[in-house]
Amino acid sequence: MRALRIGFLLGFRQIQRANKWTTGLIIFVMALTFINLIAVSGILVGLIAGSERALQEKSLGDIIVTTLPDEDKILNTDAFIRELEQLPEIKSFTVRYQVGGQVEANYKTRSDFSKDANIVSGRLVGINPVAEDAVTGLSKNIVEGEYLDPSEQGYVLIGALNIDRYTAGFADITGSLENIYPGSTVRVTINDNTKEFIVKGIIDAKVGEVSTAIYIPERELRRLSGATSRDAEEIAIRLDPTTDGQAVKQTLLALGLDKQAKIRTFTEAIPKFVVDIKNTFNILGVFIGAIGIIVASITIFIIIFINAISRQRQIGILKGIGIERRVIEVAYVLQAAFYAIVGSAIGVAITYGFLVGYFERNPIDFPFSDGILVAEPIGTLYRFVILFIITLLAGFFPAWLIVKRNTLNSILGRK
Amino acid sequence: MTSIIRATGITRTFGKGDLTVQILKGIDVDVLTGEFVAIMGKSGAGKSTLMYQLSVLDEPTSGEIIIEGIDVVQLDEVEATSFRLNTLGYVFQDYALVPDLSAEENVMLPLLMRGENWEVARGTARTAIDEVGVAGKYPNLPGQLSGGEQQRVAIARALAGKPKILFADEPTANLDSISGRAIIDLITSLNRDYGQTVVMVTHEREYAMGANRIIHMEDGLITGIEELRPHHT
Repeated sequence: MRALRIGFLLGFRQIQRANKWTTGLIIFVMALTFINLIAVSGILVGLIAGSERALQEKSLGDIIVTTLPDEDKILNTDAFIRELEQLPEIKSFTVRYQVGGQVEANYKTRSDFSKDANIVSGRLVGINPVAEDAVTGLSKNIVEGEYLDPSEQGYVLIGALNIDRYTAGFADITGSLENIYPGSTVRVTINDNTKEFIVKGIIDAKVGEVSTAIYIPERELRRLSGATSRDAEEIAIRLDPTTDGQAVKQTLLALGLDKQAKIRTFTEAIPKFVVDIKNTFNILGVFIGAIGIIVASITIFIIIFINAISRQRQIGILKGIGIERRVIEVAYVLQAAFYAIVGSAIGVAITYGFLVGYFERNPIDFPFSDGILVAEPIGTLYRFVILFIITLLAGFFPAWLIVKRNTLNSILGRK
Repeated sequence: MTSIIRATGITRTFGKGDLTVQILKGIDVDVLTGEFVAIMGKSGAGKSTLMYQLSVLDEPTSGEIIIEGIDVVQLDEVEATSFRLNTLGYVFQDYALVPDLSAEENVMLPLLMRGENWEVARGTARTAIDEVGVAGKYPNLPGQLSGGEQQRVAIARALAGKPKILFADEPTANLDSISGRAIIDLITSLNRDYGQTVVMVTHEREYAMGANRIIHMEDGLITGIEELRPHHT
């Protein structure tokens, strides 16, 4: 305890009297290291987290209801909907009717019948435009034209990934529509029934389910597909933000709705490969962060080593007048701890006070996701502890090397 | 009269094999309690090396050193550090103060190491600083003091813990003649007025004149002992 107290006095005074610019620079390096440790893995994970969030906001909702494994429809969808309408935790929901079909463009101007028609096969989704917009904000994803008006008929929204100018060539495999703009006429075919629609808008979201879909008002879709039942394929539910999705799911299960459909929270519905990619990126981030830690520990080692070696004679004299080795070691470890704590504190302040909010407001525009910065407090604490321990070791080791030298040799500056 | 230091057959050899250099070639020294002994000699005579052996900063190649009845050659590093802290005081050529600590904290350091609490150590340190003639300079950093003042603070640090023996290694080497004289007068008065045992290495005969005895050294051997004034315990 005595050694700790005197070591603290020596270490504290060394920090206090040190050159302010040098101290500032060391702390700056430590802060950058800490930010690097959090930000690299945070952005990598955030890339997937942004993708997940987009999937939740623009497609799946907070709870997604789909067909049972052996069924092709949600059984007794109307009854299911009536139950949903009774639950106050549910803010809104949208019922989707989905069917495979074809969309053909430019058929009126087609002159060369030896070439393939300009057709794309895709997923047609019948929606109530108002309900869908309330759950997924679909209208916000219009990149050309306008959103569907519930009072109009004969209009369609086409996902951008069905259109050649948005697919940059990769749709050679899946096919794409050429010269399609808002106002263009397309022919939609479902089960041999065909009807002309006018393209009202083009939708682009960084969610494949949205950008590959073709949206039609649900009544027109059912009419065109010849469906006699009102049973749907999918219901996306948006909850009040304070409501726990798992709790609502349990309520739905308690109502016995799981006999009519498969009910999953958003988290449960995330495809496994997305979770795997997220974990992989996390590990990758830790590896990259580890390089940062190694650089920081070498920096601290060099700083403490130079500091200690330049004071070698003083260290010898301290030992000469009876100051224990561990007192001197504590003084240097304290300095390292100071750099780690202050640097990390600044790193935390910058990360949570600025970076997280900044990336939340201005996500990084990756091709398949709007990347955010994910910095879970527990992960940050974990990284701080690692950085702190390594910094202490990096501070202790050079001090130990210098302090263990022969006292008289240190005093006389002999090697 | 009792010997506080009794050294017999002290040799110190550096290097290995053909490059071996023997700096001390069998020295016998007795220092009496309350005595002021000056060690003089030309550069390379071995006077500083002898002082390092006597002050437990170095370990002789052979020989025996008994201080206060303890065979200090047999002490391990931890025991030697503790022995130096509790029994010996040091004044080095270049003051050797910790530059980041104030004058007061420099003097307090060994006291705190001995286990004194902060307030008691501070009181003792201030008294010691007052006694060496730099009263009021407690908060000054070493860099804010003149060479003479720094050496006085170093003496205060050495004396604050009331050591049995004060070792001074050319304490005037980095001082001008006026400051040097003042430091020597201070050390001499500590011996005369308070009976402080002092072992001092110096080049300057003038500065050694306050001692009871001068040990003359040459080529690792004692060539003569000059009695300047009788020592009475």
